[in-house]
Order: sequence, then structure tokens, then C-alpha cells
Amino acid sequence: MSDISIQAVTKRFPNGFEALKGIHVAIKPGSFTIILGPSGAGKSTLLRLMNGLETPTSGSVHIGGEVVNGKQLRRIRSKVAMVFQQFNLIDRLSVVTNVLTGRLAHRSWVGSVFYLFRNEDMGIAQEALSRVALTDKAWNRADKLSGGQQQRVGIARALAQRPKIILADEPVASLDPVSSEEIMTLLRDICDRDGITVVVNLHQVELARRFADRIIGMNSGKIVFDGSPAQMTQTALHTIYQREGIENDNSLDMALAYA
Amino acid sequence: MTTVLTWRWPTPSGRLPLPLVGSVLALLLTLWLTAPIVEVDFVRLFASGGKMLAFAGQMFVTPDWAYVPQLLAKMLETMEMTVLATAIAVVISIPLGVLAARNATPHVVVYRLSRDLLSLMRALPELVWALVFVSAVGLGPLPGVMALAFVTVGFMGKFFAESIEVVDHKAVEGVRAHGAGWLQVRLFAMLPQALPDFVGTVMYILDHNLRAAAILGLVGAGGIGYDLVMSMRLFQYERLLLIALAIYLVVTALDRASDSFRRRILNGIKQ
Amino acid sequence: MTLLKPKLVASLSKTLPPRPRSPVPVWLALTLALLWMIVYDLELSFETLAYGLADMGEYFSRYGKPDFTDLSRYVHLMGITLATALWGTVFALVVAFFLAPLAARNFAPNVVIYRIARELLNFMRAMPDLLLALIFVTALGLGPLPGALALGVHTAGFLGKFFAESLERVDKGVCDGVASTGANFAQMVMYAGWPSILREASGNVLYILDRNVRMASVLGLVGAGGIGLALHDTLRLFEYGQSAALILVILATILLIDYASAWLRKRLD
Repeated sequence: MSDISIQAVTKRFPNGFEALKGIHVAIKPGSFTIILGPSGAGKSTLLRLMNGLETPTSGSVHIGGEVVNGKQLRRIRSKVAMVFQQFNLIDRLSVVTNVLTGRLAHRSWVGSVFYLFRNEDMGIAQEALSRVALTDKAWNRADKLSGGQQQRVGIARALAQRPKIILADEPVASLDPVSSEEIMTLLRDICDRDGITVVVNLHQVELARRFADRIIGMNSGKIVFDGSPAQMTQTALHTIYQREGIENDNSLDMALAYA
Repeated sequence: MTTVLTWRWPTPSGRLPLPLVGSVLALLLTLWLTAPIVEVDFVRLFASGGKMLAFAGQMFVTPDWAYVPQLLAKMLETMEMTVLATAIAVVISIPLGVLAARNATPHVVVYRLSRDLLSLMRALPELVWALVFVSAVGLGPLPGVMALAFVTVGFMGKFFAESIEVVDHKAVEGVRAHGAGWLQVRLFAMLPQALPDFVGTVMYILDHNLRAAAILGLVGAGGIGYDLVMSMRLFQYERLLLIALAIYLVVTALDRASDSFRRRILNGIKQ
Repeated sequence: MTLLKPKLVASLSKTLPPRPRSPVPVWLALTLALLWMIVYDLELSFETLAYGLADMGEYFSRYGKPDFTDLSRYVHLMGITLATALWGTVFALVVAFFLAPLAARNFAPNVVIYRIARELLNFMRAMPDLLLALIFVTALGLGPLPGALALGVHTAGFLGKFFAESLERVDKGVCDGVASTGANFAQMVMYAGWPSILREASGNVLYILDRNVRMASVLGLVGAGGIGLALHDTLRLFEYGQSAALILVILATILLIDYASAWLRKRLD
């Protein structure tokens, strides 16, 4: 149920910007994949297609054989967790409550609307928190934590979903090198121990080399590299990171498309 | 195992925090105690649902088209009262606002007095002042305009003062450093910066005053209010329908106009 | 596209370019003309105003001796007024709580519901509460209940609009975060919505409560209970002493509520 299949996907935004041009990707269950590329390459868009936060203009996105939209969207999302660059926690609420939002799609929702959770869910949340080593901060307000700690809460939330897939959209871009190391190690560990499929967006080449099983290099909406870190030579890196002159610089378009 | 034990709140104790529970209970208690005072009676409410529907049904009659000219005249009067009262209030509120702004006032005592004066001016609702002014100068739109302007100064003066208090003091220091006089500092450094907020405030108050002006006629202070109440009392539903519709249309039109004005012009001034 | 190098040669012209025409004088002139027309149309003469102002001093002196003999009745009436305002505000809060998420573009389940909810809130705001009070008095009879209902319906429109606008300003990232877990509409609203706007929302509720206390004190004029009717009667009968007392009671209450809500606002921060 946890293989990701993206076929012939093109994504064009309302302002005309084409973020993805005819992409084909198949991701195997249990793998650790890193998508590498410069800003504006389409990494975020590609990742967000996988849990339905973006929809393709043409082509299809399947997870475990099911199309990512429509009635099954919520069910698919409950099994596909996301970790964000800006953490996207609910600032006012406690760390525990933030982690518990990972359980929202799993049980009957009547209780959750009143902030009531089953003991079982609390247990899962505690487990997730101890996995990211934040048990002592459990009752703190989410915005009172450091960047690295907040991202760990984000991962705990993802873990609380008991997901088959974890998508991480530039999870370390807002963090210092030490915290970045922590987070990447944590994600790798989760993949290895729990067999969860992990797909991470990064622009830091070194981290990609060290942590990935498979690197997908993107540039200007196309896949320009697909292989193991060993296969990623300097030439390959150039292809990924080249800019074809100022005329084709679409980072401005990208920023506008997401405005 | 009872159901109570399988659910809990996300707090260390599993229960809701005491202050939250306390305030909610206090509120519910106050509501329950005041229910008889307000004569809240859900039975009566549901029973009157039928009466409301019957009333609504009665509203669907042929409108009294002959009344339209008078309706238009009265609506125009209402709008004129709104504009005039707001304009008068703007003229008075700008200097008063300067006096009531901590960074622009000539003296702390003046500041305190101005703030208290503004507070008193807006303390009573417009209708109360309208009652008083009608008693003083007679019926017609004059007492209405006076009452509206008076209360508006209270609100506008306060908002203006607050806008002046948050201007960038560096620009003010710059002008002062060039030897500008007391009045010049305020005219050239403070007021221009507060201008976008002023405009926003005036728009919001125009909106509010139109609704207020529509009611003042109730006590004889001009506008559509008098016709409104009379048509209800005399069960003239053919007129009431037109009046309600006219008020709704004008208020909504002003609403949309001020929204789009705010978006276009204010973005221009703010750059 | 090559970068243009700025020309650093001195300009040949020694005078400034012509100053752009400012629209301000035109608008000012138009406004003044409009105001003059209004004064004319409303038949406001400076004569009556001058006479009025001259008389004003004498007139206001009649209020100089407030007559507090009926004070207990006044306080009782003020109590009714306050209770009416409270019930109206709570009613408005409940209605706005359910309508506002539907009227927020980023939370509404679909565009149709969004449009309908917005229009409904606009309608509730546009009807003056006095008109609503009149209607409810016809349906429910005299007393404070129609007043509370009228206040509730009218301010539900305001509160709903304030809430909806706050909800629309919630950080998209936070909404994405909750949505990505598979939350449904109600969960999105309760977790990404209300916690994010709690501070603004409570400020809005206090503002509306304040406003409702003022309105409640005049609703009595249409038979909807409270102190308004008493003031109307005393003024009609030229009982200045009692009117003064009534006005002072209303004034004192409103100032008290003002202080209380300012205090509450500080504590909630």
C-alpha cells in the first residue's frame, strides 16, 4: 500500500508557470529517497502532489494503487504524513496536542472536535514523543521550542499517524547544521527500523550524499538524475544545478505561483 | 470499563484546566440567573416561530409604489445626515486627536483632559443624544446631525489619536531637527503618516453612521427612522417592505464601496 | 536582458520637470460643494443652530439637578438592559461560531456554501437592530426578549464577519499541516482555525459586548425592555431632573463596562 506512482504529470499554476513537465516517478515501499535540486526546480510541488496538497494539471498520482483525490483523499492522507520546512505546528497549543493532531483521521471525529482523545491515542502520542526524545517538553507550548525541537515535534506528529509514507519538504532548511544532522538521522532511522517509505526534499548536496539510498535530481520541472549517491558525479551535479542563463530563471515565477 | 475513562483531554491531568472550566461555569450561571430577567423562554420562542412566519408572510404584499418618492427623499436625507455629521466630526476630530495623542499633545494635562472628554462623548449612544437634542432644538434633521457628529467625534478622536501615537518617530525627529515649529511638526511629519489609518477610520465610521442615521428618525431626529417605526405601528407592511429593502440596499452598497475604496486608494497611499 | 547602466552624465536641463497635478484640491472642492448642497437640502440654517446653541446653555442647566428618588428602579432597569446585552452577545457568539468558518474562503467546504454564508452574514449586519427589534416585538410581544434576539441576530453578522476575516488570515502553512494529517472540515476549524485567532476573536467579542450594552439601553424605545423607554418617557414629560438621573445611570454603567472589558482584554493577552 505504500508505493508511490507518478505518471506523466504536468503541473501548471494559474499564473502560467509550469512547475512540472511530464514527470514519471515510481517509489518503492520502504525506501529512502532524496529529491535534490535548486529552488524553483519543482521539488515542493512534486512532494505536495503525493498527499494531494497540489493536484496535477495532467497525468496521475497513485499511492498503493489508489488515485490521490476524491473520497479517499482523507484516508490516504492518514497514511501519508508530511514534515514541513516551517514546521507548521499550531503555535498556541501544547506539544502533545500538536502530536495528537496526527490521530485526527484515525478515529471517529466526534470526540476530537471537543479536544477529547482516547487513551490509546495518548499512548501513541507518548510513544512518538519518546521516539524523538522530547518527552520532557510534552506540555510546553509549541512556539516556545527551538527550531530543531519544533521540527522533532513535526516528526512526532507524523509518527503518531502510524504512516506508511513520510514526506519531508525541506525539513532542515530552517535549521542549523547540528539540528539538521539530528533530523536527517532521525528520518533515516525511522525508515530503517519501521520500514516506512521516506521521501525528502533537500537542496544540501552533502546531506543527500550521506543519507539517501536513491537520489532524484530535478531542475526546471524535469528529472535530470535518478540513481544512487555513488552514481552522482560532478557532471551529474552540474546538470542538476545548472542555470541556463537569466532568461530561464524561474525562481521568481515560482515564488509568485505560491504567493 | 466505563466510557468516561477511555477519553481524556490533552492535559497532564487528563481534565480541562480549572480557569477555563471556572469561567465557562460562571458564564452559564450568569445566563441561567438572568434568563427570567430577559424573559428567555424557549417554549415561547418556538411558539412564536409560527407568528414570525405569519408575519413574514404578511410582508409579501404588493408594495406601496406611491410611497416611493417619499421613501427616496427620506433615504436621501438619511445619507445626507450621515455625510454631513461625519464631515463635521472629521474637522473637529483632527485637532482633538492631536491633543489626545501622547506624542503630539502640548501638555500632559491637555492630553488627559482630551482623552476623558472623548471618552465621555462616546459613552452614550447616538439615540440618547438625539433625544436630548430634539428636546433642545426641535424636530428635524438638525438634532440628528448634532447627535451623530457629537458621538462620532468621541470615536474618531480616539482612533485618530491612536493612529498618531504609532507614527514613526524618526521621521518626526528629522523634521524637528530642521527647526520646524510646533504646528509644522504635526502638519508635516505626524499627520501625513497617520493619513492611511485616518482614511480607514473614516470609512468604517461612515459605515456605522449610516446605520445609526437610519434609526434616529425614531425620536424625530430626521431620516427614515420615523417612517420605519410608523409603518410598523400602523401595520403598513406595503411600506415596511420597501423601507427595509431600501435600508438593506443602501447599507450593502456603502459596505461594498468602502471595501473596494479601502483596497484601491489605501494601497495607493501606503505604497 | 542586459542590465542597464545608469547614465551618470549631468542633465542638460536646469529646471525641474513639471510638477504632477495633484488630485487633492479637486476632491476637496467637490467635498465642500457636496457638504454645502447637503446643508441646503436638509434646510439647516445657521440661524436655528445659533438660536439652538444660545439656548443650549440654558437648556443643559435644567439637567443640573439630577433627581435620584427613583434610583432603585433605574438600577433595576439598567440590570435588565445589561442582561439583555449579555444574552444578545452570547446568542451572536454561538451563531457566529458556526457560520464564520463557512464564510472563510480557506475553510469553507465549497464556494457555494462560502457565498451563501457570506451573504447571510451581510444580511444580518445590514438590518438595523432597531428594525429587527420592532419585528421581534410584533412576533413575541413587548419585553426584553425581542431586544436580546434583535441584538443577537444583528451582531452575529458583525462577529461572523470579523471571525471569518481573521480565519482567512491564518497562516496557510498551519492549515496545510493539519490538512496533511487527513483532518476533516470540523477538525480543521477546531485545530487550525480557532486556536490561531483566539486573541483577535476574544477582542472582537468584548467589543461587541460593549456595543450591545449601548444598543440595549436604547432598545427600550421600541418596547424591547430596559432603560430606554424610561428615558423617553421622562424627556417627553420634560422631567429634566429624572432624565438627568437616568442619563447618569446609563453613563456610569457604560463606563464601567468599558473599564471591565479593557481590564479583561489586558488579562487575556
